[in-house]
Amino acid sequence: MKKFLASLLLVAMAVGLAACTQSAEPEPPKTTLRESEDYYAVYSSELTSLNYLVTSTTLEFGLATNLVDGLVEHNHLGIIQPCLAESWTVSEDGLVWTFKIKPGIKWVTYEGEEYAEVTAHDWVAAHKYGFNPANASKNANIVYEAVKNGKEYYNGEITDWEQVGIKALDDYTLEYTLNRPIPYFLTMLTYVSFLPVNGKFLEEVGEEFGTDHTKILYNGAYRITEWVPQDYRTLVKNEHYWDKDKIYIKNMYYRYNKEAGTLAPDLFLQGEISGTGLSTEVLNDWMNDPEKKEIVTPVLPSTYSYFYAFNFDPQFDAEYEPDNWKIAVNNKNFRKSLFHGLDRISAMLTAEPFNPQNKIINTVTPKNFVSYGGKDFTQYGPLKDIVDRDSFDPELAKEYRDKAKAELEGKAKFPIKAMMPYNSTSSSWAQRCIVVEQQLESLLGQDYIDIIPVAMPGTNFLANRRTGNYAFLECNWGPDYCDPETYSDPFYPPAKMNYNWPEKAIGYDDPNGLCRYQNLVEEAKAEVTDLETRFEKFAIAEAWLIEEAFIIPYGLGGGGYQATKVEPFTAPYATFGMDMYKWKGQIIMDKPMNMDEWNEAYAKWQADRAAALAAQGQ
Amino acid sequence: MQSAVTVFIVITVVFLLMRLLPAEGYFEENYDKLTPEQRENILRSMGLLDPWHVQLRNFYASLLRLDLGKSVVYRPKVDITTILAAKIPYSVRFGLGALCISLTLGLAMGVTQARFKGKWVDRLFTCYIVFINAVPAAVYLIFIQLYVSRMARLPILFDRFRPISWILPVVSMSLGGIAGNAMWLRRYMVDELNKDYIRLARAKGMSGAAIMVKHVMRNAFVPMAQYLPASVLFTISGSIYIESLYSIPGMGGLLVDAISRQDNTLVQALVLIFSSVGIIGLFLGDLAMAIVDPRIKLVRGGGAR
Amino acid sequence: MGAKEMETVQAIEDLSLFEFAKFDEQAGERIGYSDYSYWGSTIRMFLKNKSAVFCLCAMITLLAFTFIQPYLPNQKDPTKVYLDPNTGRQLMNHPPDSEFWFGTNSIGQDLWSRIWSGTRTSLLIAFIVGIWEVGFGILFGALWGYVRQLDALITEIYNVINNIPTTIVLTLLAYIMRPSFKTMIFAMCATGWLGMARFVRNQIIIIRDREYNLASRCLGTPTSRIITKNLLPYLVSVIVLRIALSIPGTIGWEVFLTYIGLGLPVNTPSLGNLVNEGRRLIMSPSLRYQLIFPAVVLSIITISFYVMGNAFSDAADPRNHY
Repeated sequence: MKKFLASLLLVAMAVGLAACTQSAEPEPPKTTLRESEDYYAVYSSELTSLNYLVTSTTLEFGLATNLVDGLVEHNHLGIIQPCLAESWTVSEDGLVWTFKIKPGIKWVTYEGEEYAEVTAHDWVAAHKYGFNPANASKNANIVYEAVKNGKEYYNGEITDWEQVGIKALDDYTLEYTLNRPIPYFLTMLTYVSFLPVNGKFLEEVGEEFGTDHTKILYNGAYRITEWVPQDYRTLVKNEHYWDKDKIYIKNMYYRYNKEAGTLAPDLFLQGEISGTGLSTEVLNDWMNDPEKKEIVTPVLPSTYSYFYAFNFDPQFDAEYEPDNWKIAVNNKNFRKSLFHGLDRISAMLTAEPFNPQNKIINTVTPKNFVSYGGKDFTQYGPLKDIVDRDSFDPELAKEYRDKAKAELEGKAKFPIKAMMPYNSTSSSWAQRCIVVEQQLESLLGQDYIDIIPVAMPGTNFLANRRTGNYAFLECNWGPDYCDPETYSDPFYPPAKMNYNWPEKAIGYDDPNGLCRYQNLVEEAKAEVTDLETRFEKFAIAEAWLIEEAFIIPYGLGGGGYQATKVEPFTAPYATFGMDMYKWKGQIIMDKPMNMDEWNEAYAKWQADRAAALAAQGQ
Repeated sequence: MQSAVTVFIVITVVFLLMRLLPAEGYFEENYDKLTPEQRENILRSMGLLDPWHVQLRNFYASLLRLDLGKSVVYRPKVDITTILAAKIPYSVRFGLGALCISLTLGLAMGVTQARFKGKWVDRLFTCYIVFINAVPAAVYLIFIQLYVSRMARLPILFDRFRPISWILPVVSMSLGGIAGNAMWLRRYMVDELNKDYIRLARAKGMSGAAIMVKHVMRNAFVPMAQYLPASVLFTISGSIYIESLYSIPGMGGLLVDAISRQDNTLVQALVLIFSSVGIIGLFLGDLAMAIVDPRIKLVRGGGAR
Repeated sequence: MGAKEMETVQAIEDLSLFEFAKFDEQAGERIGYSDYSYWGSTIRMFLKNKSAVFCLCAMITLLAFTFIQPYLPNQKDPTKVYLDPNTGRQLMNHPPDSEFWFGTNSIGQDLWSRIWSGTRTSLLIAFIVGIWEVGFGILFGALWGYVRQLDALITEIYNVINNIPTTIVLTLLAYIMRPSFKTMIFAMCATGWLGMARFVRNQIIIIRDREYNLASRCLGTPTSRIITKNLLPYLVSVIVLRIALSIPGTIGWEVFLTYIGLGLPVNTPSLGNLVNEGRRLIMSPSLRYQLIFPAVVLSIITISFYVMGNAFSDAADPRNHY
């Protein structure tokens, strides 16, 4: 019997192992040849495609920007510089932009073989592809809404490409004709919609363009030599790159791991990867460990702006009393009581438990997003009084509450029910709702307000916002271009973004029948030549929205902490577009920085940037 | 054939269910930033703007051409066969490895338990079986990954270039199977050992080992033959927990992922494959059972139930 | 000799010496059934299994505790965010101490009361789903097994439903109905009865044509009596086993659903939610208590039910009675 069992066991082991080891296919990875300047990472979200003519996800264009260069780019201080365009001119009326393309730039295949030269026709080919509705591009709208006859061509109203405002005058001259003057057109060019493609290659591969790394051409800093989805990918420096002296990291190895977020900190400690984000869960331990604490540095927040929106067009279930909410929300004192009553730091603690104030924002447009004449947008007009003011003021909130109570007595039913949906797939959002609910209710009293968090499915979550199925909701907005205008889009009624319908607020209509906010934005938009006035006017509009408490500015996305050997502030700096994901100029250090070193580097970078902006302003 | 009809109905129902999901799901996070024209064009390019019966007809037409189609969201415009071809081998290898271990160890365990019924070995193994069956896999698997990897100095993640990293996932994957097999075999053997023919064999002077192998095991193998082909075939579906815990690029979770991202063609292809596999497995099981046990005739009922 | 015998017989035949005994129906029954009582034997058999009795006690204590816990003194509210007196903001990840016995989670909720509240939720789900599974499963299974004309049709329906991925159904349900306690129960009920129905159907098919039933039928036993006396004792053990197993099964299923993102909303504590929340903390040793506590409670419950269910089903099987 024993023998029988033993032999069974042996067979089991043998077969089991055989089934396993057969797969140890190709040669071992290059881990043994690791050089200090290589970059190693694990990732948990896989690309769906490399077709940069179609994509609009950060993940995909963040990679594409390292593979294909566009006309202009930001440097590490955030100053726009020539990239593949060596120079450009703009017509008097601001409508015609002409770019001179650098000669001698090469397209290479994934194996590094030269394929063709980059010419002005490559941009035309890219836009032609994007403007073909059959290709279902998700980023072409940025272009076709800006250039002359773009939308008409896209919609098939015009079939003659010659009429579209995109032309290659010769091999090295590219001309865009816009449908309106766009003062920020240059920064638009740093978005994925303006990357070129080789027309001949595109035709060759047809439908399969970008389906894997062999099906695109490279003219950027890196080429992908290997990519096995959900397994690994390898980026190798492009030796034909026009600016190759600025590429310090020669190879980049990415390994897929579904649990990368959880495991990366340990892998970093073991030296397997070059950098890791530190989730709030792990950070606790790291901060309490004197050794690990030495390698923790902050991450700058992103330009994603979060705010709480009051819905002026409530469409939710009768169960949550939309009519009552409508009465309440049209009372300024009611809004103000929540505006000053919301302890945003408490809420932020659910996302950033260590330095929540770093991610709190008092305006919709973040600081350092855009500046003109060396002056940041948030320092223009009335915004400068708001930008550093904490809106949380319990005493003021109670004052407003009492006023609101007096005014609404008999008109509205107390407590006011505020239906607050959240995405049930996000646990930190759910937690934040609970915190906000309890914080507001305990400050203002449960007889005054009743915040009701409601779990909504992740599938189609934003439809709740679009259809007005909320009373009070945490919303966010990311910029689409580098101009103050972009942060007015969610509220500007004609943009049809369906955020909180300020035009339906009662008592805010101007004599022309439009709501006050719309008129303010309209006025600012009309100003396309004098940028100083333009900024001033947008600042007035934004400040109005905040002062009237149509929204409560809350926080910024991104941020958090990391441990990394990548030197900070060497990456291109941009507040919009894809340049911030470029590896150009980045260096891997021998060991990670600590907080002090990082702060020092940050201070130096800020000074450099201020100087560079000032120089540019003159 | 009846089973073909089943598969046909299943994929049709799945096809229609997927069409009930909101159109916004096809855009992931981008919906808001797109213009209405763009949304329409994107849906059109996915063939979603046609009336559903046209879509269904197109789907059947391509199926008849044995074309599973191309993925639309997961990896747009990539053949589904290409996607699956890269993933199936991982799942099958892990699955087969785990199956072998769970069969042999499970059977060995069951035999031991039956042999020493009521002794401490039996009790110990029963504890194991109870534990594995009762505690949710999500809980014990994570503790295994966390603590066993540290204790045994095994890699915490799968790495295809390091054979040693295969051990933990395969072993974790086989735990459930071991418990299942052992439990079943023990019960069967205990029942069988009390039967008259075994007593007769003993009385004849047959040795214990010979009784085990020639009588009990032979009979125990009949129901096993029924489910073995299906288990082998179903290794292609992978294990959702194990593969995501150890980061194995296999099939586990692909269906869930495809559903949540609304990659219709991929979902349909997977459902087609899995339901066919299930039915083929059942059929092969009947066949295998008939081979192992001559008393069973296939023509009798058709079904194995 | 012969005559003498005859005399004796004749003496016996003397009627005055005898009287008719009354037909005692009860006594007649007694001979047939001795002192056997099905439930009595079942309970006796069950009580012989020490580990099962232990589990039963543990289970009863635990169950009782889950329900009286909120009424005990000094209990905290499972959804209330507790504030740190120093900062006035939420008391995050507070390690276990005398105030918060199991510590607090990342927004300062008391883990001890959350675990019991979660246990209540999960048990409630499990019981409702279990009862539905048994009720509907038996009904459907019986129909399937008994009505021969329906067999092919129902088998086909079963095959179809069984092959449609549950995730699709659940995703759709969650989308249509929005994540909540009711959705969860509905989703589980919608798919959970399949296994039970098939099980019952197979049992019925096996028992239906057994010789003793055939014999009963030949002797003219009414169908109702066949069902209650011949089939039910067999099914009771099976039913009990299924109910007992469906509880750990449902809890495990809930954990799985939460894992793939289709679970209850986070503000409703449940064992699935707690385990899943804890899972994200495994890389942080100092916070691991947030996984270990719920995991241990969960395991105790599922193991107890499992052991008990098995013991009881053994005990309920009349073949094991002696």
